[in-house]
Amino acid sequence: MSIVGKSATSAKFRRNRWLLTAILSLYFIYTFMPLFYVITAATKSNQDLFSTFGLWLAEDFQLWENLKTLFTIQDGIFLKWMANTAYYSSVSAIGAALFATFAGYAFAKYSFFGKKLMLALVLGAVMIPQTALVIPMFLMLSNLGLTNTSLAVILPSLVFPPGVFLMWAYIDDAISNELIEAGRVDGAGEFHIFSSIAFRMLMPGFATVLILAFVASWNNYFLPLVMLIKPDMFPITVGLAQLYSTAISGTGGVLLFTVVMTGALVSIVPVIAAFLLMQRFWQGGLGAGGVKA
Amino acid sequence: MAVIELRDVRKTFGAVEVIGRVNLTIDDGAFVIFVGPSGSGKSTLLRLVAGLEDATAGQVLIDGADVTHLGPAERQLSMVFQSYALYPTKTVRQNMSFGLEVARLPKAEIKARVDGVADILKLGDYLDRKPRALSGGQRQRVAIGRAIVREPVAFLFDEPLSNLDAALRVEMRIEIAKLHQRLGATMIYVTHDQVEAMTLADQIVVLDKGAIQQIGTPMELYQSPANLFVAQFIGSPKMNVLAVRPDGSALIFADGSRADFGLPVPSSLAHVGFRPEEAQLLPAGQGHLQGVVEVVERLGSDTFAHIGLGGLGIITARMPGNVLNISLGQPVGLGLTMNQLHQFSADGIRLS
Repeated sequence: MSIVGKSATSAKFRRNRWLLTAILSLYFIYTFMPLFYVITAATKSNQDLFSTFGLWLAEDFQLWENLKTLFTIQDGIFLKWMANTAYYSSVSAIGAALFATFAGYAFAKYSFFGKKLMLALVLGAVMIPQTALVIPMFLMLSNLGLTNTSLAVILPSLVFPPGVFLMWAYIDDAISNELIEAGRVDGAGEFHIFSSIAFRMLMPGFATVLILAFVASWNNYFLPLVMLIKPDMFPITVGLAQLYSTAISGTGGVLLFTVVMTGALVSIVPVIAAFLLMQRFWQGGLGAGGVKA
Repeated sequence: MAVIELRDVRKTFGAVEVIGRVNLTIDDGAFVIFVGPSGSGKSTLLRLVAGLEDATAGQVLIDGADVTHLGPAERQLSMVFQSYALYPTKTVRQNMSFGLEVARLPKAEIKARVDGVADILKLGDYLDRKPRALSGGQRQRVAIGRAIVREPVAFLFDEPLSNLDAALRVEMRIEIAKLHQRLGATMIYVTHDQVEAMTLADQIVVLDKGAIQQIGTPMELYQSPANLFVAQFIGSPKMNVLAVRPDGSALIFADGSRADFGLPVPSSLAHVGFRPEEAQLLPAGQGHLQGVVEVVERLGSDTFAHIGLGGLGIITARMPGNVLNISLGQPVGLGLTMNQLHQFSADGIRLS
């Protein structure tokens, strides 16, 4: 009796593949639709924004005018917001990735008193929504006199529990214990082994955590909303929300709706660029450990 | 070079004792091999010597100095790991010079040492390559080179040939033997392969379940194993062992067969053993035991016959060359000579 398996040309396989493609297409449309709306909305005048079909361009292409308004409104404050966001996100991402790497390395490669408890706390922290922590954090930083400073946004963002968990799993697989022991036999101290031998091997995981922390910080709304008062310290998320509030209340003029949509479009361009630039790193980082080398 | 001593060394992981009380002295310049099955504690014992594990009790001494609480580098030892453990982002030269840079040796001396060792190990053409661009044998030589440049008092090898194919393993075994002759260094080597142990060692330490079973030269272990474990671990194919009961000058085997030798046999005798090359195959009907050839293995240099002895199990006989007059299903007799048999008590200890 022969054993018959499914081939790529069998009817059932083709049917399953079409079904999978259909489901993924629906998911793609669901995911991409808001972004597509933002793109089309940014190209319209305010009148067309409310009078034309939302998911298609209007006859009057107004993207350049909207961009000009965006970058000149309130003395060019949008550029300041972009610079703030870039600063907060870059510093937070690098700091979060470094701390996650240090912590993940310690969890993966050392035995120490309280390790299980600390690991459980980190994993528990992954499950706590960040929004729930913002108010206690505000009270803490307020007591330290750090509210309304960039540190109020950066310091909490340096703690990135999902990054710790990711680096712990990655380092456990990527760095063999024998490599560290070889370093010890060669006389190197623990930090020397980490910096000189291990860290360069961790770049895919580090880059993955870096991009994830960058995006989380770039998109962060509630933390800077609570921590910052002065408009020229706002990141894009809070700034656009303020413009939108002004538009809804009617005090800023109807034009502000198109400015908000154009600002939203501009704000995602750097993130997309970062993802595309770092793609080869984060794909490798997420997939590492799946196959033992 | 150094004399290494272990005094009452114990190691436990929680409640599990992996190394019992071990007392061992390794002479200056000796090539000592720790051999044993998986889980016997041989790698743990090596790591205790290296300082990569802390002893639960006991002392490790090098040239009389207590190094028990010193780290690996402070003990001035070098180690070659099973996986080579080469630094993957560094070139061969950087791998070999790393330990010397940590020790802050002058650059000129580092270069001289690395170039010298690269010359000995024929690595000169590969110094600027990274490990991923090297073959398994080349990586192994880099790992050995990294150990040599530090000019340690002793070298430790943790199953360094396990990841190599059979042909390369033979080649590297010879290289390591030549290295020992050249350097005259104290070397401690761990392997589960008793062929490596037999061919390389001045002394073999056989371990099982964290305890030393026997220490001796390869021939002492082969010809006079201290217990059943050593008898059946050393030698390939392993020693044939049959359970017996003494009856005056005769032995009664497990299936009731009787072999009379005309000489008194020790009353505590419970097992007899003979190496495959010591098996005396006779025509059917002759000898002390009868059997049937079940499998014949022809290697060209040797012929192995696996003979079923009915209720006594299967024994292996080894004959030099390609023996043509033995075949599957052939009935044969087995002759035994009492004073040539290895004799063991009920608890597996050798009877002298």
